[in-house]
Amino acid sequence: MSQSLRPYLQCVRSSLTAALSLSNFASQTSERHNVPEIEAASSPELLLNPLTVSRNENEKVFIEPSVNSVRISIKIKQADEIEHILVHKFTRFLTQRAEHFFILRRKPVKGYDISFLVTNFHTEDMLKHKLVDFIIQFMEEVDKEISEMKLFLNARARFVAESFLTPVSFESTLFADGSHEIVRLIGQSLEWLRKSWHYDIATSLHAMPCHFMTMAIYC
Amino acid sequence: MLLLDYQNVLIESLLKDRFAGAAPINIDQIVSDFDNVTFHISTPETKTKILISIRVKCFPELVQYGAQAVLEREYGPYIVSPESGYDFSVQVDLEALPESQEEKDDLIRRISLLKRNAMAAPFEQAFDEFKALQEEASKYTSEQAPQGVQEGGEVRAIHYREAEAIFVKASHDRVTVIFSTIFSDETDRIFGKVFLQEFVDARRRAIQNAPQVLFRNDPPLELQGVPGIDASGSAKIGYITFVLFPRHLADQRREDVISHIQTFRDYFHYHIKASKAYIHSRMRRRTADFLQVLRRARPEAEEKERKTASGRTFKVQA
Amino acid sequence: MAPQTPAVVMDNGTGYSKLGFAGNDSPSFVFPTAIATKGPAGGSGGSGSGRPAVANKPSFLTGGAGQGGNLSGKRGTEDLDFFIGDEALAASAGPGYGIHYPIRHGQVENWDHMERFWSNSIFKYLRVEPEDHYFLLTEPPLNPPENREATAEIMFESFNVAGLYIAVQAVLALAASWTSSKVQDRSLTGTVIDSGEGVTHVIPVAEGYVIASSIKSVPIAGRDITYFVQSLLRDRGEPDSSLKTAERIKEEFCYVSPDIVKEFARFDREPDRFVKHTVTQPNGRAVTVDVGYERFLAPEIFFNPEIYSSDFLTPLPNIVDTVIQSSPIDVRRGLYKNIVLSGGSTLYKDFGRRLQRDIKHMVEGRIKASEVRSGGAKSGGLDVQVITHKRQRHGPWFGGSLLGQTPEFRSYCHTKAEYDEIGPSIVRRFALLGGPGSS
Repeated sequence: MSQSLRPYLQCVRSSLTAALSLSNFASQTSERHNVPEIEAASSPELLLNPLTVSRNENEKVFIEPSVNSVRISIKIKQADEIEHILVHKFTRFLTQRAEHFFILRRKPVKGYDISFLVTNFHTEDMLKHKLVDFIIQFMEEVDKEISEMKLFLNARARFVAESFLTPVSFESTLFADGSHEIVRLIGQSLEWLRKSWHYDIATSLHAMPCHFMTMAIYC
Repeated sequence: MLLLDYQNVLIESLLKDRFAGAAPINIDQIVSDFDNVTFHISTPETKTKILISIRVKCFPELVQYGAQAVLEREYGPYIVSPESGYDFSVQVDLEALPESQEEKDDLIRRISLLKRNAMAAPFEQAFDEFKALQEEASKYTSEQAPQGVQEGGEVRAIHYREAEAIFVKASHDRVTVIFSTIFSDETDRIFGKVFLQEFVDARRRAIQNAPQVLFRNDPPLELQGVPGIDASGSAKIGYITFVLFPRHLADQRREDVISHIQTFRDYFHYHIKASKAYIHSRMRRRTADFLQVLRRARPEAEEKERKTASGRTFKVQA
Repeated sequence: MAPQTPAVVMDNGTGYSKLGFAGNDSPSFVFPTAIATKGPAGGSGGSGSGRPAVANKPSFLTGGAGQGGNLSGKRGTEDLDFFIGDEALAASAGPGYGIHYPIRHGQVENWDHMERFWSNSIFKYLRVEPEDHYFLLTEPPLNPPENREATAEIMFESFNVAGLYIAVQAVLALAASWTSSKVQDRSLTGTVIDSGEGVTHVIPVAEGYVIASSIKSVPIAGRDITYFVQSLLRDRGEPDSSLKTAERIKEEFCYVSPDIVKEFARFDREPDRFVKHTVTQPNGRAVTVDVGYERFLAPEIFFNPEIYSSDFLTPLPNIVDTVIQSSPIDVRRGLYKNIVLSGGSTLYKDFGRRLQRDIKHMVEGRIKASEVRSGGAKSGGLDVQVITHKRQRHGPWFGGSLLGQTPEFRSYCHTKAEYDEIGPSIVRRFALLGGPGSS
């Protein structure tokens, strides 16, 4: 973990832990309703001050607390358009499965890549510190995953390009007849000459038949 | 699967079965191949006579570049007049097959390469032209060479897809093959860019013998003055140039190089898709991991064992 | 585009996948829905935990991060190293590859494998650029909508297919029966008996919609018949009683008899009904296996399950009757009138005739009883008709091919643009293809 990441995550952790003190709160505006106040935003007195924890302009967390719910939005680092598209794909993939992630919001808050919504019902039946753990771990891993995917993409692209350009068909016709074999043979015979007659390499090169020499240079 | 096959698997397996002596049956199949090529495999007269027709979008262009001659060379005695709606047909009579197994295999191979051969004509023509120009050029020093020799021949355009084309141009020291391709999707475009960058770099880094590859969004100089070129430089269109040097054009390599370079576009798009599939499987896996972390947040429901009156125990399910 | 590209029809079943182009009368490729990947088989153990070797992060991670930029080796390409279909079976016989079956009980279990299976199907076998073609896929009845969405996600995001239609197999099987001369009106109401390798389903369909609550499945299907033939061969001590031989005998010689007691007598009267089947064993020796009563006894397990199984005892005709009786009353007439067979295990000679007779018998008995009860009222009778047709074996695929070639097919699909606009949830609803008003 890099130097600046640790305090950043630590800061998010403490802010989140503090923000996650939620209580059950029935809606003031409509009877027998109980809605996350941060989403409804119908009574300003129930909303607390939002807070941004920012590592740099590309990586920040936006925490919006209220009396019975907290909205956490994360902006994931995207250095270039590849990372951008990967982040987009990944968050889309996750939100597609929002049902399974009880606290995942289906749509991120504007300006962020992914948002979570934790309500008092979540904190009631899940352990609060584990929820915070989840968010922190998510932030750590998402960066890792994105950069791994990018690495993969580059590696794959390289592999694909090289495999298309190397097959037999594009290889030089000069060496189409097992040139590697010849190179290996040259190496072996040099070794053998050196051992048996204690010639040094330079002399043995002279001893080599002429066309072998040219081969060696070509290779 | 890394590289795409050159031949059509369906035709190949179908003929193999028939040639191996499977009972002849009625066939009537219309199948597609890459690049809007349509095959029609049928037994119109009797069950033993298999008619294979091909329809290529750019057939008139191919004919202009000498496709007829190439196809005649490859399929000589099997050619029949084209079925209506198709561009070219061959017919195999199961009762008049070649004797030896090798000849049979060769016939299967050749027929399953029907699409490849149809598309090969412009390449072959360009390769021939290159040879002529090379000889011509060897008579001059580089300064004196007449304009025609220096510039090289005409650009052969094959509009094989709706909005994509291959351009082949021969000159005295190289043959240039230019693909124009379109990325319909933003993700594809970005993935494609990464891939193409590696194609461009491959030669510099690892494989010195490979053809030179260039990539740009606006049409390269070779295509100046060719009609129907989108010169807007929009990021959706890419022009990929392969420069084939004399060593790629030698006679014994020619067949393979032509087959291979034809598959470029589909190979390229296939791998963009395959890497998306891989990224999907990574994301699936990662999502499962995240879910597991989240699940840990739920306090473990204590599993209480309960007893019935008869003394059997059971667990309460959450 | 002057001539439209034909739609691609893919019917991925538990046992076999049928791939081809719309407009043809048979699929271009039929091969096992199997994928062989590097590493040990995970399919045989817990299917859920059978994680693919590809997605195994650590292997790539160490490759990616550890070696820095120099990745030109073969690292991270394990996901391209696999085979599908018959090649998969061949590869898994050798070392290094394990075989997986991504579909279980008709539903996709392992999406990673399925995605790669499709990828190879499209690029290696069908050889099409998915961007140019519309795709028609099938799904089993009762497929959860989440699975549909996952399918759409793969099809649109990975492959950029031009358009997608996902149809229920049973509905397609009904459409396939339109080729039969017995069918006068092309309705999408009927009962589909779909019997494949693993399981037999009886599915009532009303106006193109599956009546989910009435579906019944029978745990007797092709594989059980094979086992039954095999057990009979073993009991007699035939020289070859391998599963393969049993399967061949099942496919070549079996038929349905109207009455097994009479059939036994007939066999004894006409000895030429006993046939001999020659098997060439792997070691090159040819042995002859006698084929006797199993010719009609094997398919009989559909009608008298007690001769084979001890825990499932309801004959197929009764199941069909129960299914129709549990469907809404206003469609029952249509369901009786159009009982359509589909799948390889319904191909036995006279299978349909026997089924029709048995169901008719049951229905008429009931009508008679109620006539007696009502004291003199006369029933107008009920038409029971079992439809057998030539395309039964690949019924759903053929139905798909039939519908996929109709000019309006494309307007029923969801296109890539629509998907991008709305998201995967778009595939939860499809307009009914081939329903009233079309073709």
